[in-house]
Amino acid sequence: MRLPIFLLASLTSLAFSQQKQSDFYTIESIPMPPGEVMEIGSIALMPDDKVAVTTRRGDLWICEGAYGSDLSKVKWTRFAEGLHEPLGMYWKDGSLYLTQRPEFSRLQDSDGDGAADVFETISSGWGINGDYHEYAFGTSPDKNGDVWITLCLTGSGGAASDWRGWTVRITPDGKMIPTCSGIRSPGGIGFNAEGDTFYTDNQGLWNGSSSLKWLKPGSFQGNPTGNKYHQLANLPAPPEPTSGSRVLAEHLKFPDYIPPAVVLPHGKVGQSPTAIVPDLSAGKFGPWAKQLYIGEQTHSQVQRVSLEKVNGIYQGAVFHFLEGFQCGIIPAKLDSRGVLFVGGSNRGWASRGNQPFNFDRVKWNGKTPFEILTMNVQPDGFTLTFTEPVDPASAADPASYSMAAWTYILQSGYGSPEVDQATPVVKSATVAADGKSVRLVIDGLVRGHVHHLKAPGVKSASGLTLWHPEAFYTLNEIPK
Amino acid sequence: MFPLRHLRHLPLSLLIASTHVQAQDGEQLYGLYCAACHAPDGKGATGGAFPPLAGSEWVLGNPKRSVAIVLKGLHGPVEVAGKSYNLEMPPQGDALGDDQIAAILNFVHKAWGNKGQEVKPELVSAARKEFASRNKAWTAPELLKLFPLEKQATALAHLTSRVYKGQWSTLPDFSKIEAENVEEEHDGILDTALAALPVDFGIVWEGEFLAPSEGEYAFILDADDGAKLILNGKAVAEVKGLGPMEDKNRISQGKVKLKAGANPIRIEYFQGKGNQGISLGWKLSGAKQWQWVSANTPKANVGPTPIPLMPKDGKTVIYRNFIEGSSARGIGFGFPGGVNMVYSADNLAPALVWAGDFMDAGRHWTDRGQGFQAPMADLVVKLNNQRYLPADALFKGYTLDKQGNPTFHVRIGADILSDSWKPGETGTLIRTLSLATKSSTPITIEVPLGNAAITGSEKITLTAGTPSTITYNLK
Repeated sequence: MRLPIFLLASLTSLAFSQQKQSDFYTIESIPMPPGEVMEIGSIALMPDDKVAVTTRRGDLWICEGAYGSDLSKVKWTRFAEGLHEPLGMYWKDGSLYLTQRPEFSRLQDSDGDGAADVFETISSGWGINGDYHEYAFGTSPDKNGDVWITLCLTGSGGAASDWRGWTVRITPDGKMIPTCSGIRSPGGIGFNAEGDTFYTDNQGLWNGSSSLKWLKPGSFQGNPTGNKYHQLANLPAPPEPTSGSRVLAEHLKFPDYIPPAVVLPHGKVGQSPTAIVPDLSAGKFGPWAKQLYIGEQTHSQVQRVSLEKVNGIYQGAVFHFLEGFQCGIIPAKLDSRGVLFVGGSNRGWASRGNQPFNFDRVKWNGKTPFEILTMNVQPDGFTLTFTEPVDPASAADPASYSMAAWTYILQSGYGSPEVDQATPVVKSATVAADGKSVRLVIDGLVRGHVHHLKAPGVKSASGLTLWHPEAFYTLNEIPK
Repeated sequence: MFPLRHLRHLPLSLLIASTHVQAQDGEQLYGLYCAACHAPDGKGATGGAFPPLAGSEWVLGNPKRSVAIVLKGLHGPVEVAGKSYNLEMPPQGDALGDDQIAAILNFVHKAWGNKGQEVKPELVSAARKEFASRNKAWTAPELLKLFPLEKQATALAHLTSRVYKGQWSTLPDFSKIEAENVEEEHDGILDTALAALPVDFGIVWEGEFLAPSEGEYAFILDADDGAKLILNGKAVAEVKGLGPMEDKNRISQGKVKLKAGANPIRIEYFQGKGNQGISLGWKLSGAKQWQWVSANTPKANVGPTPIPLMPKDGKTVIYRNFIEGSSARGIGFGFPGGVNMVYSADNLAPALVWAGDFMDAGRHWTDRGQGFQAPMADLVVKLNNQRYLPADALFKGYTLDKQGNPTFHVRIGADILSDSWKPGETGTLIRTLSLATKSSTPITIEVPLGNAAITGSEKITLTAGTPSTITYNLK
């Protein structure tokens, strides 16, 4: 008897589960103070293996034992309360620095009793008006010591308070430097391994799909709602893109409009990207050194991004990575020893993980999954690098790969369908001598499009299919 | 079992075009775009913290209502299946095509036992044109005006009403009075408006209460003015005498065992002067939601569950959020002894002082936390809504003493203005202002103290090095 189509499909997907997450990574829940609502908005790594977290309710707790082998022994101390929705925190020289909704501040325990008593406001140079949507996400200091803060719009489509829709830098002496315009609704901000600043912006008005965006100083990020604030600082007026256009077309018109480095296709990769974490653990969290991890609130996942710079513009690929967290992920921090801490909340925004909050640590067990490590563009295709040598027969067969490409409408409306579909064709696949990379020659690359590569047929030398047999590459530039 | 052997002879293209495959698409799209909030089982994510679609009254009746919501989104408070939510549904009209929206809604309208109507892509396309100029999300009241919810059959069958005229202050013996009018009430709803009289009348409803199963039932009765509920000839609940609805001391509840099916029911009601109305709800004993069989229903508990904050262990409590009466940068302190204040970090001055309970964090710690929350006390003294310090004055934060009492710091040029607060004798707040300067010529500033609660001057002149103390008497 012939099998119905849907049954065939599920049998095929079974074949992909040869490798599973628990073969490589363990997610452990860190017990939290009993009776407390710990909707985590930021995480800071502290000396002496302490980890600080802030909650959306405005508490700051310090956890001891978060690295320990017996997590039932963790000890929590409340360091501060009554903070205003902090969404960024780091430790430096004896103080905790916080990006709170109304200000950037420094907290100190001056009398050493274990609780903060100094709440110094370093900058409150941006406006808030009482709208819940006016969030502020902040980084750790960059190489100059400046902290980058990205300011959500008022509601979904307004900019009722000063500098809404902008990213600013706060210098160590408290000066605020408006740096980038065109922001919609950030979910996180951070640096890549090279120290350039990126943020995640959520699908919505003037944002066809959620994306990872490069905050090149002076750049415009696509949403003109907060443009008017350039007048407050005598800055040049940001671009006014045309609704119904495409990102590429507007980028060509306005060079300051930097296209999203990596589009995170709505629904297919996620729905609410958040934290940005560079892997500076030098291989202690897997073979992904210097790549980025992106938190995903709605899907309760962590995605992986490999970036490259082509013609001066960042672009790259996003891969599915970790999943199955108990709540929607908001902040994440990776320790230099390779322990990833994630926390989250799903109050107001739902998540697949159905717990109201979580605080987890993720560790790599040293086993390397068979996976696409990087995807790099070539003038006529891509080079895929793998974590393990490939089986030359399957990897050299163009039929082991397929590709689809599309883009989104840049419009004043909310989100966009996938449009301008194209089907680039894999003409040849050449396996390198060491078996660790494959050169794909592709007909029909489309500049400005997301290129969705599927590689279900590729096997490792030991016969495994890929853990995640797909990647989504945003092709802003095609090298000559 | 699906009769596969009959389908085996059909060409593949026909199989794909069949409605079975279309339904699959809707479910898949639902999983991709909707299930994060509404949950894969339609019951609302996180154990119902988000609105359910399974069993929702919103999916029934005019299918254009669903289309309108998906196209343009929904903003603010909404009641679904007896529970209120205050969230944000993002519009999907610019991201999803007509056929995708139709497929999703056809899935939602028929899934989980829902009995919603079919949605054709043409309906989506027509609604898209009709609402093309709308550039903001709907509110629930707007939608309900355009697309009222379907009237559901209630548990009251064969309902009749008899209207009586007379002046009473308690329920009369209606058997001794002649009815002015008798009507059948096919909608099974108790509504005092049927009498079309403002004052001095009574109504007796009679009919059958259709119990879905045998068991103990709970009833809740409220009326303006008096009312009595009689089931199987036995009084179950009574609201006595003259008085308003929504008065905890008047609302009456009762429990009664009922057999499955029809149980004779009688409701007596009278209206004296002023407002009129009746509400009657029922549920199986132990069930959560009341089912209402009246035009009046109690105001849904639209506010979030209260989370009152108060001083703990003799220490002052802090609440930094949007506090009504202050600018958005409000910092509230609740001191032991029941005195409170809010400092505005925008105006660099106190905004409110009051005696009584501190703050309810329920609004900000539930859903997305939209809006300003008023202090818990009724009497709040507004001190200042103006910024009086020079334009270059900068908020520099606050320090806390061992008891958690704050000192706010403001930098004015090279000078620091410190503004300390602590509770004093019963019902008082003690404020100490001081000015530290690094300049060789000490400056003076005028500080307005507010319009109430102090004795003496409403303004002080502050000189560097000489602190000034002010006492606010709040009792």
